[in-house]
Amino acid sequence: MQGTDVLVIGAGASGAAVAWRLATAGIGVLCLEQGDWVDARAYPHWQADWELHRYTDWSPEPNVRRLPQDYPVNDQASVIAPLMYNAVGGSTIHWSAHFPRFRPSDFRVRSLDGVADDWPIDYATLEPYFDLNDRMMGVAGLTGDPAYPPKSPRQTPPIPLDTLGVTIAGGFERLGWHWWPSDSAILTRDYDGRRACVNCGPCDLGCPIGAKASTDVTYWPKALAAGARLITRARVREITLGPDGLADGVVYYDGEGREHAQRARAVVLAANGIGTPRLLLNSCSTRFPDGLANRSGLVGRNLMFHPYAMARGVFDRPLGGHRGPIGCSIISQEFYETDLSRGFVRGYSFQVARGLSPISSANGGSVGDRVPWGRAHRRAYDERFDRTITVAVIGEDLPEPDNRVDLDPTLRDSSGIPAPRVTYRLGENSRRMLDHGIARAGEVLRAAGARDVAANPLLRAGGWHLMGTARMGQDPATSVVDGEGRCHDVPNLYIVDGSVMVTCAGVNPTSTIQAVALYVADGMIRRRA
Amino acid sequence: MTPAHLGAKRDLLSVVLDTLVPPSAEFPESGALALEHVLAIAGASSEAGALLAEALRAVEEAGDARGFASRDVAEREDLLRRVERSHPEAFDALVRHTYDGFYSHPATIRRLGLEPGPVQPRGHRIESATLPDLGRVSARGPIYRPA
Repeated sequence: MQGTDVLVIGAGASGAAVAWRLATAGIGVLCLEQGDWVDARAYPHWQADWELHRYTDWSPEPNVRRLPQDYPVNDQASVIAPLMYNAVGGSTIHWSAHFPRFRPSDFRVRSLDGVADDWPIDYATLEPYFDLNDRMMGVAGLTGDPAYPPKSPRQTPPIPLDTLGVTIAGGFERLGWHWWPSDSAILTRDYDGRRACVNCGPCDLGCPIGAKASTDVTYWPKALAAGARLITRARVREITLGPDGLADGVVYYDGEGREHAQRARAVVLAANGIGTPRLLLNSCSTRFPDGLANRSGLVGRNLMFHPYAMARGVFDRPLGGHRGPIGCSIISQEFYETDLSRGFVRGYSFQVARGLSPISSANGGSVGDRVPWGRAHRRAYDERFDRTITVAVIGEDLPEPDNRVDLDPTLRDSSGIPAPRVTYRLGENSRRMLDHGIARAGEVLRAAGARDVAANPLLRAGGWHLMGTARMGQDPATSVVDGEGRCHDVPNLYIVDGSVMVTCAGVNPTSTIQAVALYVADGMIRRRA
Repeated sequence: MTPAHLGAKRDLLSVVLDTLVPPSAEFPESGALALEHVLAIAGASSEAGALLAEALRAVEEAGDARGFASRDVAEREDLLRRVERSHPEAFDALVRHTYDGFYSHPATIRRLGLEPGPVQPRGHRIESATLPDLGRVSARGPIYRPA
């Protein structure tokens, strides 16, 4: 098959961004994606039983969903289940589109707080890429948040808070704590050829009108128009090396199971924090017997999730929680920066989501305390439905080498490729952080008027953010890629997904992942010129 | 009992579902609204079907010679609690699929005050987009650490 300048593996958040950036610079780009395009008419929102799909074919857990394009993940040794979606758009298909940036201190954790490591790049370096990415994705929000350096104007006004958001904002006000309308990659006005959100609710099942910024409706149309090529249902088995020790392409299976070899001058991995180490570990050779680009032994290690704890308050009046984007309303960073008097280092954010839909209300939502069955059922359900606010505590996880992705010795995907195995335990610092967050979340819920508060100390089905498994750094002995995303061991092999994150901050990572991807792409363009 | 036999036990299953989600003044149709959904799940997934069949078999066995359906509500609940303890995974599946079926049924959705049917293209109208005053928050000044 004809070679290409750059081969990108994965068409999700970072793969789409890097493909667009390279294609607009005139570089030949071919992307291989194991999933397919999602037809807008295939989303469950058009069906009366839309909510049931959350627990079956639209589950965020690949082990539940089990679609042909999914691969199994052995997560038995992990207290958090990894979530992902395999399609053009990747996990931006099912994300809630929270779009906060990392803060300046997040790139200087070792210098400021003496833990983990500093990044080789900083906020100021990424700032123009944050802005560019915001314009590409389209962000609803409000400038002026004192938790951040000044940002460029948001593309559309913030997501409406509605009764629920105004209620919890009152709690933050009474306590004198920070809060701000969330930056959300969801349009509240028509923008860049895309429609505004109609507040239907279940963004986690995808967005059938393109108001939510999944990269199949943001980056990809522009990348394809600029000349990038995209092959779907193409599952990469391994990255191959030439005699010079450089990556020279990949071997992949098409949708019918036929094997292909694709040549490339450079390869970019954008397969998420589990898929990327899996592919590197599956790409063994005499030169790299322990996995490609793994001379440091760190491929797959230092896996970070964002551990989530959830607190839910019950109120005495309807809150209209079924209206509006499910994941987005308010963020608070009152407890974000390190204060050692709290008993832990680093910090966390609060995220206030919308209310629970009917089935989710019955099953306890993210708190998981199912409404009792029997004669107590009706009253218990009615006391909860449309009367709850859930505050999520999203904590900064610290990198720990024993939290890792490796290859399962027996489990295979439908193509026979070894599947990933995830080993993850919650660190002591994270536990103390979440406990602090649960207590403070209870305070804000009660200040807002909640009469009853329940909590889930750790959300198992909360592994949305997959980070750290091919970390960035200057020293080849302690990192996998350099400060421009190049593998130390294979300089024409790049990684741009959450794997490269040195630390994970206390906010959702997608905005920062994409900014890093655009930054890496600019380095590739600069070196080519 | 196999999943296929669940259909033959519709009457018993219906009473079980009614015990899990009993009727009330506002919700006269009780848990049996979930019946078709539970049967569909049992047919679609061998794993779920096996669990549901196990739960129903345990209910039958717990009901002994008097049976389950002939008992009053308090006795039926007592029997189900025994099954909940003796077959926790199967009973959990039974409750979950019952709730799934009941709370996705149009009649239930309507009684909850929502409009049944697809959420697209209609979406939801938000009454007021007015943002509370952020003056106090802004007045604190930067709360991030420069690095």
